Amino acid sequence: MHEEWTDLMSAAVDGELDPVTTRRLESHLAGCAECAAVMADLRGLIAAASSYQGVAPASDLWPGIKGRIDATKVLPFARRSRARFGFRELLAAGIVMAAAGAGGSWYWTHREPAALAVADRPVSGAGFELTSTAYDSALAELGRTLTARRGQLDTSTVRVLERSIRTIDQAVAEARAAIQRDTANAYLNEQIAANLRQKLNLLKAATRAINSAT
Amino acid sequence: MEAALTAPAMSLGTVTSPFRPGADMDDVALAVGGDADAFERLYRRHVPRVNALARWLVAPSDAEDAVQEVFIRVWEKLGTFAGQSAFGTWLHRVAVNVMLRRRQNLGRDRARVTDDEFALTLVADGPRQPELRMAIEQAVDGLPPGAREVFVLHDMEGYKHDEIAELLGVDPGTSRSQLHRARMMLRKVLA
Repeated sequence: MHEEWTDLMSAAVDGELDPVTTRRLESHLAGCAECAAVMADLRGLIAAASSYQGVAPASDLWPGIKGRIDATKVLPFARRSRARFGFRELLAAGIVMAAAGAGGSWYWTHREPAALAVADRPVSGAGFELTSTAYDSALAELGRTLTARRGQLDTSTVRVLERSIRTIDQAVAEARAAIQRDTANAYLNEQIAANLRQKLNLLKAATRAINSAT
Repeated sequence: MEAALTAPAMSLGTVTSPFRPGADMDDVALAVGGDADAFERLYRRHVPRVNALARWLVAPSDAEDAVQEVFIRVWEKLGTFAGQSAFGTWLHRVAVNVMLRRRQNLGRDRARVTDDEFALTLVADGPRQPELRMAIEQAVDGLPPGAREVFVLHDMEGYKHDEIAELLGVDPGTSRSQLHRARMMLRKVLA
């Protein structure tokens, strides 16, 4: 192993070496198996480090965290001094969430029969209709809130909000279409209902955010 | 030649990532609305790596308190998460800031970066762990503190040398040299 070359290897694997020195190093590695092995090891080490997933604490820390959260009564929104900024973030999350929901609908309506056999276990309660009604109500309330507060929100916020509503609306429409195509599938019904419940919570949070931001 | 520069020969194993960005975004949206159950799901998905960070960036005796402080801070700041990066990336930035500040408050700051010879030999001479995750954990544990911090921040957390220099209050060149030192030490132990 040649130190004058190994000293350059970290910079080389990080892409920080100039082209001329890189070529010189490559040339050396071509003729030096020992240094080439070091270089390969460094590559492997870096790959392993970046994929390292950690280790859980020896004891469960969640009860302590939950206790402190409950004790302080601090909500993520309540602590914000710039509510409008956080509101936009929430809407951005809404877009992703809605898109994920649409993807979920697609998955549940296009998956392979083998997957269906495993997944379609009996479930009680087909909550889609109930959730869907609540969802319509929440969406309507968000629309009314937006209309009432439009003048108090900046235009970019309104644009993001309107885009989110359109995306969410589309995801809900896809979910409804999926239910109609497969009305007897209780598991599909329950999955989409669960997805809608998440979006319902998001819409409620968005409405609260608008009210607190204006 | 090209192969020598690109092919990883040291196989430490790749752990399947438990992170699901879509699930994170769903839970962030719910937690921002005050849903503690959603926040617990975020906690459980991400606590292993935050715990590892604490293990290497603060004293082991302080690690659990640091992890708790990180997640409480994350809960408080969740409304400012812009969604422009993965939630995990944002969380780790918060975690690193909390831990480094915590460490400074405990009076262990720049001196650690220039700390020198540490007991890497304890790892090198000890029995080789059959499990690769434990092997890399122990190897990183055994690095000198300064090299360990730079390695963790750069190779595990993806910080750039300029950022590390600012976080640790050192010169970027020091960060580079500490990283190379850490890598070569780890390579020697793990090869």
